[in-house]
Amino acid sequence: MNAAQQRRDYGFIAIVILVAITTVWLLLMPWVTAIASATLNRFHLRSSSFVTWAIQFPIPSMYNFANRFRVTDVPPGLIDPILENPLADDLANRYINHFPSRVFTFADLRHLYLKDGRDRWLTIQSSYRGQQVETRMHAKPDGEGGFVLLRIPDQSQ
Amino acid sequence: MSDPQTTIASEPITINRAVLAHRIVQLGLLVGLVWKWSYFVASAKVYLSIPLLDEFFPTVLRSAPLLIATFLVTIASIVLNLVTASRSFQLTCAATTLIGSTILCIHQGSYNDMTFVTTWWTSLWSLWFIYHLDDPDQEKLLQRAAFLSRIIVSMILLGGGVGKWTSEYWSGDVFFDIYFRDRDFWVFNLLRDNFDVDELHEIAKWYSRKVIVIETVAGLGLWLLPARWAAIVGVLLLTSIALFSNFLLFSVLMSLIGLSIVGLFVKAPTR
Repeated sequence: MNAAQQRRDYGFIAIVILVAITTVWLLLMPWVTAIASATLNRFHLRSSSFVTWAIQFPIPSMYNFANRFRVTDVPPGLIDPILENPLADDLANRYINHFPSRVFTFADLRHLYLKDGRDRWLTIQSSYRGQQVETRMHAKPDGEGGFVLLRIPDQSQ
Repeated sequence: MSDPQTTIASEPITINRAVLAHRIVQLGLLVGLVWKWSYFVASAKVYLSIPLLDEFFPTVLRSAPLLIATFLVTIASIVLNLVTASRSFQLTCAATTLIGSTILCIHQGSYNDMTFVTTWWTSLWSLWFIYHLDDPDQEKLLQRAAFLSRIIVSMILLGGGVGKWTSEYWSGDVFFDIYFRDRDFWVFNLLRDNFDVDELHEIAKWYSRKVIVIETVAGLGLWLLPARWAAIVGVLLLTSIALFSNFLLFSVLMSLIGLSIVGLFVKAPTR
């Protein structure tokens, strides 16, 4: 590498810029609603497109937001609050560190809730400084041992 | 004429600090990825036996075989990077690690695991570093490498801190539920054995506030420290996070610990 190339270390500059952009994004998140909203939607796999979701992957988000989840074996809204939820175990309606959508997508909880091949409904809520997002999903058996994941439209809108 | 054996024996052993830093970072990456090996093996079985068709993800990024292959190739690229001395092969391995970790960051079966985000940032640093390993001014290279490692580690800690600037974390509710209520880990077992629920809530509140403050302060200030101080603080801080909350977090943190160590290879300023 010659001296001119050493002076222009584009790789170094690119990494610094990427870190700076990510840092600014993070520092604005508490005050810019759109940024918090984008991250909340990212956590719920409901960004406007997969690309919009995927380009956010370098943004660190360990233990971000207050994320709750609840899994039921009947559709949400059909549970009589007096009756006990058949899945009311220690994990029902509890906090989870990040990406609450992982209850169905990630390994251990996918196994826990979907191993018996029956319909399951997942309600996840994430809140951050007054903003809240709730998403409902239905894991519907596909008849071949797998599931199809369906989003349940938000009836409040 | 001098005795050749005497001449050889009197030559000091020199260590190429940049190469050693490179290998330590690769080792951190490797340990991080294999830390949860048995968990990932079990995960692969789940993905193969319970596929989940979610159209949010492109078909290829729902594929369990792709996930397994990417994970193994990423590990192999790190192992080869660790042992090879060929610069071009090191670059190929680093690029492979970066591509592999990118896929793992956006795959349906692994997007939520922060292990792959820290692996991605570290492998990005690694690709840049290997490209410059032959730079004539090694001290300057190490100073720049340590600066990049500091800003990356700071930014990742800041990401953890800012996301907790919300009332549910400030009150300790989230950590109480995730850790204090029933997590089988030495710290929380010890606390449950010695305090009642009300006291645990109070402890969780201050535990949570401690985490928020440390992540925020380190996120905003670690990169401003001199290289060697930042390295020491970074290693101690990252290690303590896993030791006092969850050993599995070493999978997320080992790559960052390796990255932090780079700062120790910068020569201390002479007075």
